[in-house]
Amino acid sequence: MSTAARRFEALVLPWLDAGYNLARWLLHDDAAAEDVVQEAALRAFRHLAGLRGEDARPWFLKIVRNACLAWISERRGGREMTGWEDEELEHLQVSAGQLGADPAAALDRTRLQQAIDQAIRELPPALREVLVLRELEGLEYAEIASIAAIPVGTVMSRLSRARERLRTTLALSRNGPAPTH
Amino acid sequence: MDDQDLSRLIQTHATRHQASGRLRAELRARIALETAARRPGSAVRTGFPVWLRLRQVLPAVHWRSALAGGAAGALATWLLILPAARLALDQGQDMAAVLGEQHVHALGPGPLIQVASSDRHTVKPWFQGRLDYAPTVLDLAVDGFPLLGGRVESVNGHATAVLVYEHHRHLVDLYLWPDTHDSGETRTQWRGFKLARWSDGGMQYWAVSDMDATELAHFGAAWRIRRLRP
Repeated sequence: MSTAARRFEALVLPWLDAGYNLARWLLHDDAAAEDVVQEAALRAFRHLAGLRGEDARPWFLKIVRNACLAWISERRGGREMTGWEDEELEHLQVSAGQLGADPAAALDRTRLQQAIDQAIRELPPALREVLVLRELEGLEYAEIASIAAIPVGTVMSRLSRARERLRTTLALSRNGPAPTH
Repeated sequence: MDDQDLSRLIQTHATRHQASGRLRAELRARIALETAARRPGSAVRTGFPVWLRLRQVLPAVHWRSALAGGAAGALATWLLILPAARLALDQGQDMAAVLGEQHVHALGPGPLIQVASSDRHTVKPWFQGRLDYAPTVLDLAVDGFPLLGGRVESVNGHATAVLVYEHHRHLVDLYLWPDTHDSGETRTQWRGFKLARWSDGGMQYWAVSDMDATELAHFGAAWRIRRLRP
């Protein structure tokens, strides 16, 4: 194996799952996520020389994230490009009320997973990517800021809005209605 | 429910999608192909004078070096791929090396498919104006080789049609160009890639793939049968 290939195996491949998870959450499609991640990983391989002393995970996730945006803008003719600007986020509808006060008691594990996945899917993409990177990938605010090319303050405010929306969608406020299922 | 509880709820229950084994395997294969394509030891020896080779490679060097990160390596790689003349290359092994390189190159940074369609009535007209001949385009889906699309490649300065087929996730590149010379039917290999060559009195055909030789022979047979009875 060449030096470049070995470096790629050591630095980038460990984050393939993280890249795929991000792409899958942004694109909602297995095949598209596979294609985009494969192309992003090849791009990472070709530009591996540019990675010096940097942490490979946010570096690779940024490539994946940009590849996802390019895919969305090309394939869908910009149809899904809404929801990436903070100004629009206020106007996007939030669907309400699914879980109630005690989600674990209201639903079995599978249905709870479905409800939470659905609620995340319904988030505007700008909030969704921040939430996925924070909650599912465990990245630091500064890393998310670098990946999404936004200030750290925006990461925090988007995360807070994402959580607020999830609470509304899942009816999880402390005084939320009792589960209706 | 505070932020911490919500985080815990998401972390416990939300789906964390995982890359499939297939994605990993494909990626490793493509990295291996790119690495092979970069290796300078894979030179194709031709009798062309250096100035001619240089003239042919110069337009491509800039783009390639951006990818490979080194003009020397880029030049070496392009010296391999471009210069072999289609006409001078009836010695099958040289052609095998040239087309092998081009196949590898297309799997890597190059455009694998410029017109993506399984419909031959879409692919065939796409070649109009891009070639000085009209290639036959067949879909061999019923034979297990669905058409993915096509592209035009420069094989020593001649714009040449390439049809791309798939078979169990292997790709087959079929190069075809007009040549009335009867070259018979030959099989060869280059660095593990299998090549099959045949002619039909009007066209020369070269199929290049990483499938095994038997499958590639099936592909050639299917093509020749469908060519006669589409």
